[in-house]
Amino acid sequence: MGTGLGLGVGVAALGVGIGLGLIGNGALQGMARQPEAIGKLQVQMLIALAFVELVFLLTVFVAPFLIK
Amino acid sequence: MDAFQQIGPSLLASADGVAAKEPSMTGLAAYIAFVLIILFALMSYAKKGLGVRVFKNPITRLFEQLYLFIENMCISSIGQHGRKYIPMMMTFWMMIFVGNIMALLFPFAPTADLSFNLGMALIAVGYVQYEGIRTNGFFGHLRHFSGPKLSGVMVVISGLIFIIELISEVMKNVSLSLRLYGNIHGGHLAVDAMNNLGNKIYIPLGALVLLPIKVLTCVVQALIFTMLTCVYLSLVTHHEEDHAEPDHGQPAPAH
Repeated sequence: MGTGLGLGVGVAALGVGIGLGLIGNGALQGMARQPEAIGKLQVQMLIALAFVELVFLLTVFVAPFLIK
Repeated sequence: MDAFQQIGPSLLASADGVAAKEPSMTGLAAYIAFVLIILFALMSYAKKGLGVRVFKNPITRLFEQLYLFIENMCISSIGQHGRKYIPMMMTFWMMIFVGNIMALLFPFAPTADLSFNLGMALIAVGYVQYEGIRTNGFFGHLRHFSGPKLSGVMVVISGLIFIIELISEVMKNVSLSLRLYGNIHGGHLAVDAMNNLGNKIYIPLGALVLLPIKVLTCVVQALIFTMLTCVYLSLVTHHEEDHAEPDHGQPAPAH
């Protein structure tokens, strides 16, 4: 049981890591192109990060219920 | 609930029940009372420095900066009428931030418990509904849920959108509370696991290595909770005349 749980969490972390990297990439490029917009971009980036993070957290909390 | 208790031991390298030390409801209430006492003490001390023209009290200056930050956030995301939501947002921010920062000094934080977070999320979403009803009226608020105005047979789609929006409104509670709980509680689990790794060489690895990222998480989670509440408020309370006034600032010149 622990193996499946660990594997699922690992796969979820992989996908969420890619998503967070993409968001950071986009935000950094935008900031480099337009330094005046850094304030707005940071806030929007944080919101997007929160939504992506939530997917991982949902996985972590739903996975133990699926394995029975 | 036993599935929740299985998360800790199975994710940790050594399952000695280290992570499964959650206080009872009374302990949680004591922690929340402690957070409130800290907040009240700080703010009553900050209130003493209000009388002068330029604030000399450092705590007063700190709260002034915090107020400016929250005000900027409210106005940039809600619009000019967002100023009246500042007290609620400020309360959320300070409560979550002090609750998060407790975990760096004490063995437990109130925000690492799902019940407290769910209570706060229910208050936040209920407040959003209340403000939406107060701004647009009851039926105007319900009309927000049914999406754009469609005609003819497309009314069926409006009904579908209505149901989906209701579900997403309920899921806002879940997402707000679970995000905060998962981040803070997950941080504790990670610190415990790292501490177990450094147990043999008597170095608290988790407390040393993960401390900066935990401080960052404390600030960011408080910011995200308030920011998302602001966004939800802006979705339900926007007026028609707000679209005309340029409250988004001047567009930056291209270089």
